[in-house]
Formats: sequence, C-alpha cells, structure tokens
Amino acid sequence: MHNLGTVFRFEVTRTLKKKSFWIMALAFPLLIGAVFAIVFFSNDATDKAAEDTKNQHFSMAITDTAGVIPDAMLHAVKAERVTDKQAAIDKVMAGKLDAYFYYPSDLKKNKVEVYAKDVGLFDNGRYEGVAKVLLQQSIAGKVDPQTTAILQDKVGFNAVTYKNGKQFDGFKELIAPGIFLVLFYFLIAMFGNQMLTSTTEEKENRVIEMILTTIEPRALIVGKILSLIVLAAIQVVIILVPTILAYLLFREQLQLPDIDLTQIPLDPARIAVGASIFILSFLLFTGLLVAIGAAAPTAKEAGGFFGVIMILIFGPLYAVTLFISQPDTLLVKILSFFPLTAPIPLMLRNAVGNLSFTEAGIAIVILAISAVIALAIAVRMFRYGALEYSRRLSLKVIFSKKNS
Amino acid sequence: MAAKQHIAESIVAIDHFKMDFGGKTVIKDLSFDVKRGEVFGFLGSNGSGKTTTIRALLGIYQPSGGTLLVGGKPFSVAGKTKLGYLPEERGLYKKESVIDVMVYFGQLKGLSRIEAKSRAEKYLQRVKLTDKATTRLDKLSGGQQQKIQLGITIMNDPELLILDEPTKGFDPVNRRLLMDIIEEHQQAGATVIFVTHQMEEVERLCDRIILLKDGTAHAYGTIDEVKKQFGGLSLDDIFLKVYGDENEKEEL
Repeated sequence: MHNLGTVFRFEVTRTLKKKSFWIMALAFPLLIGAVFAIVFFSNDATDKAAEDTKNQHFSMAITDTAGVIPDAMLHAVKAERVTDKQAAIDKVMAGKLDAYFYYPSDLKKNKVEVYAKDVGLFDNGRYEGVAKVLLQQSIAGKVDPQTTAILQDKVGFNAVTYKNGKQFDGFKELIAPGIFLVLFYFLIAMFGNQMLTSTTEEKENRVIEMILTTIEPRALIVGKILSLIVLAAIQVVIILVPTILAYLLFREQLQLPDIDLTQIPLDPARIAVGASIFILSFLLFTGLLVAIGAAAPTAKEAGGFFGVIMILIFGPLYAVTLFISQPDTLLVKILSFFPLTAPIPLMLRNAVGNLSFTEAGIAIVILAISAVIALAIAVRMFRYGALEYSRRLSLKVIFSKKNS
Repeated sequence: MAAKQHIAESIVAIDHFKMDFGGKTVIKDLSFDVKRGEVFGFLGSNGSGKTTTIRALLGIYQPSGGTLLVGGKPFSVAGKTKLGYLPEERGLYKKESVIDVMVYFGQLKGLSRIEAKSRAEKYLQRVKLTDKATTRLDKLSGGQQQKIQLGITIMNDPELLILDEPTKGFDPVNRRLLMDIIEEHQQAGATVIFVTHQMEEVERLCDRIILLKDGTAHAYGTIDEVKKQFGGLSLDDIFLKVYGDENEKEEL
C-alpha cells in the first residue's frame, strides 16, 4: 500500500504534538501516583499513630465481672480495678479519667462497654483496641501458643489443586492470558473515541476530495489504524513503567502483595489463543468504529454511536459468573460466538481455562472474517461517505455503489 | 485506430457520460476531450454539473454511464498522470501547521520529505507567507488558507491541473498571482482544466471552452469558435444569453 508509511508518520507525529494526548496519557499514571502517595502517607501516618498510641500512657480503670483479666496485666498497663461502674463513668465524664472498660460476666452474650474521653474521630478507636488487647493477652497466658493462633485466626493455609493430573493454580493461571482482557478493555476505553472520530476530521475539514485524489482510502485507513495501535502502545508504556517502578521501589510501604513473577504459569497455547482473540477483536472494533465515523457527518454525531458499541463490548461483563462457572449454557455460547459481543467472553473464558481449543478455533475464524468485513466496510464507508458532508450515510447508498 | 489516436492526443477524454443522483439525471450525455498542454475552460451556471463531472472524472463519484479517462485510463491515484486538484469544497487539516500539512501532501504526491519541505518553503516565500510556516492553519485568514491549498495542488508539478473555481474568495491581487501561476504551469507543459464564472479569466487563459447546460454540452470549441456560434457576442453576453433564463425561472 503506497504512502502507508507517510500517513502513519503524519498521524503519529501530529497526535504526539497534541496537548490533549499527553493530558490523557499522563492523567492515568498521575492518578495512580496520587493514589499511591495517599496510601503511602496514610500507611505512614497510621504506623506513627499506632506507635504513638503504644507509647502513650493514659489513665484507665476497669470492672472485670467476668474475672478474666489478671492483676499482673492491670499493673503492666497501670490500670486501676474498680467496682463502682457509675462512679467510674462519672469520672470519665468529668475528665478525671481517660478510659473505663466494663467487662460483663458473660462475654459471649454481652458486649464489653468502653467509656472514654474524646480524642478525635480516628483516635477514639484506640480505647476499644486496648480493651480488646487486654482481653486477648489475658487469655493468651492461659492457653498454649498454638491454640492462641487458632483462636486468633492467625493460621496460614497453602492449597494445592490439580486439574487433568497436573498441579493447577486457578488464580495464577489466569494472570498471563488475562492480561489480554485487561489490555483490550483499556485500549477500547482509552482509544475507542479516537478510532470513531479518526476519519470524521477529513470530512469536517473538507479535506476529503484532496485526500481521495492523492491516496487510496485503504492506505489512509490502515495508516490511521496502525498509528492508533502505536499510540496505544505508547500509552501502555506510559502507564506500565511508573506502575512497575512504584511496585518495585515502594511495594512494602504501599503494602502491596509480594508476587513472584517467576512463579506465574505460562501456557503457550492459551497465551497464543488470547493474543489471537485480542488482535482480531481489536481490528474488528477498530474497523467498526472507523466505519461508523466515516458514515456520520460530524464527530459529534459519530460520538452518539460510541455508547452502543461500548454496551456491545462490555455488556457481557454482567454475565461474568456464567462465563466462569457455567460455560456450557446457551447464553454463554451465543455471547462467545456473536462477533460483536465475543471479545470479553472469549478472553475471560480463555483466562479461566474453560475455552476449549475447538471453540477457540471457531471463534478465531469468526472474528477474523468479521474483522476483514469490518475493515472492508470502513474503507467503503470512507470512500463513498466522503462527500456526504451534511447527512448520515445510509447502508443502501453504500452497498448500491458499484465497485471502483 | 481513430479512437486510439484521439485518446493519445487527449489527456482527458469523456465519452457519453451520464450521471443520476437519487433518480434525477444531472448529466444526460456529455462528451468532450481536453488536449495535452491546453487550458480548458469548464463553464456553466451553478448546479449545471461541472463539479459532478470533475468528481466522476477523478473517481470520487461512480458515473451512471459512459467512460471518463485520464491519460487513456480511468483515474487512479496510483496511475501515471501527475494530478493537481483544487476542489470547490476547500479545507485542510486545520489544527496542523502550514509547513506540516504542505510537507505531508507533498510526500503523499510522491516527493521526498526534503524535497517537499524545500518546495513548500519556496512557495511560501513566493506568496509572502514565510512567517506563517509554523502557524496553525485555522489561525490564517480564508484567503491565506486558499493560497496554501493552491500551493499543495501544484507542489508536484502536475501534468494535469484541475482547478474548480480557484479564484473564489480571492482579492484582485491574489487573483493576479493565481493567474500567473496557472500561466507558468501551462508554459511548463501542464494541461489545465479551469472551472470559473469569471469571463475575463477565461478570455485571458483558455484555449478551448465548454458550456454545460441541462446536462449536455451547449457549446464547445475554441473561444473564437464559440463566439462565432453566438454571432460574435462577448463571453459575458454569451453566458447571460445561455443561462439568463435560469435566473428568470428561479425568480418566478
């Protein structure tokens, strides 16, 4: 295709020069950065507050009708044992005592009552924490550490599951093929509108006649699509690099889970299926969005169709549990093989491992044919819709034209 | 044999061209040719089908009948004839800079990036817009934008230059500049098809003309031949005589 490279370079360069591209490109990483910063400083502040609370001494009294807290524990925290509940509450109310805990005789039925001086919305929780720790520490002394761990739900579990005679970790298995689903969602959400309006500019600016007599419409459209793919890749890099750096440098401070990337299973067949579905779905929807853009007289009118396309693509997400747990139902089959709803069900099912190779093969063929048809329609729409400046192009007009 | 010779002499050959739009026939039966190296005037009232004929010639519209050839073949952007086309509906990538758009179109027309830039700069110098090279097109006046579009049209030294009402919106100074540019290209061997309502421009530039009316050629030949057909009237008077009744019909 003659001039493809020229169109590609022009489209990429002019988009990269646009402020709006960089605002959009940097908005997401900046937002993530802001969230990370909030989490970081919040965790830091919480740790400090916890440390301060630990070192802080405040006056307290308890009434232990259950008889579970030993004197040694009260000495350790410099707490006073009292019997007159109301007098203690009055002292707290008068500001003469920081906190008073009333432990009922039947801890199973009744609640522990905590009365304390207000120290702020967030710090007030510390009294309840102390009352709880007193109780836990008192019990811990009476039973062995193992029992304590069980009672305090501090026992770890390591589950190993098997599928077809092989060890299979459902969650880890879905990470690699699932990346395509995330990538597809992200690309359509970020670039869908740009795809839709990529050809309306030529119409709105009345540059179309000069274009059609200078370059083949196919070369223009393919050049535009390729430029969108590269711009999307740049966007992905802009998001991934700071995210990975933040993870590697501040994982502990951000309290993120420690994922060993070397332990993520890589199933070449499922990854190949995922990649094929992703690429063909991307091409299908790019063709479809470009075709709609070419048929609409203005970007504003084209935008009206964007919501419909989004519903078709992401609507199946509402049936996510069906795709995972009941892949053989009719609805799942229909959504998986109807090209306009297929991407999400197919990628999701491939990620969780319930898409058979036969189904994958049929779906890939359907998507490939649909993508070729969508791109052909896009070229035709652009070619014949080009001079329809003021009205929407009807399918009758498009398909009644003779081949050029 | 005669037909082949006819095509060889003509850069544009239109034979029994017919065009229907939504059941309405816009061009009934139109045949004419444009010889290499001539300036050909394409005249007619508004809506007479001039632009439709050009669009069909360049493959933008599919004709309902007949053949339209450029360089002996239906027009194709990959064809051998170097085309410069200034359409009636004008516009450019408004948010891009003048130089970027000129270089882009220069490259699309087959020039290298360096050559396209050099030609663009030379043209901007000629039309006194050098200081606007990096300005966004939507910041230019309508006349300045038109000059840029004309520059893009002639960047590749076209063999066939089709100008659809090129002076529309130009002041007299810029009109003179445009006429000079057309003459230069003609002298360099280009063929020019020129759609206009300005009869003085036709007198000054055109070798042959065609007057389109009711979807057919009402008159066709050299300026002298056409004048003779109308008893020696001036082109302005011929135009009024041929198309005057259309205005009367509209007024009624």
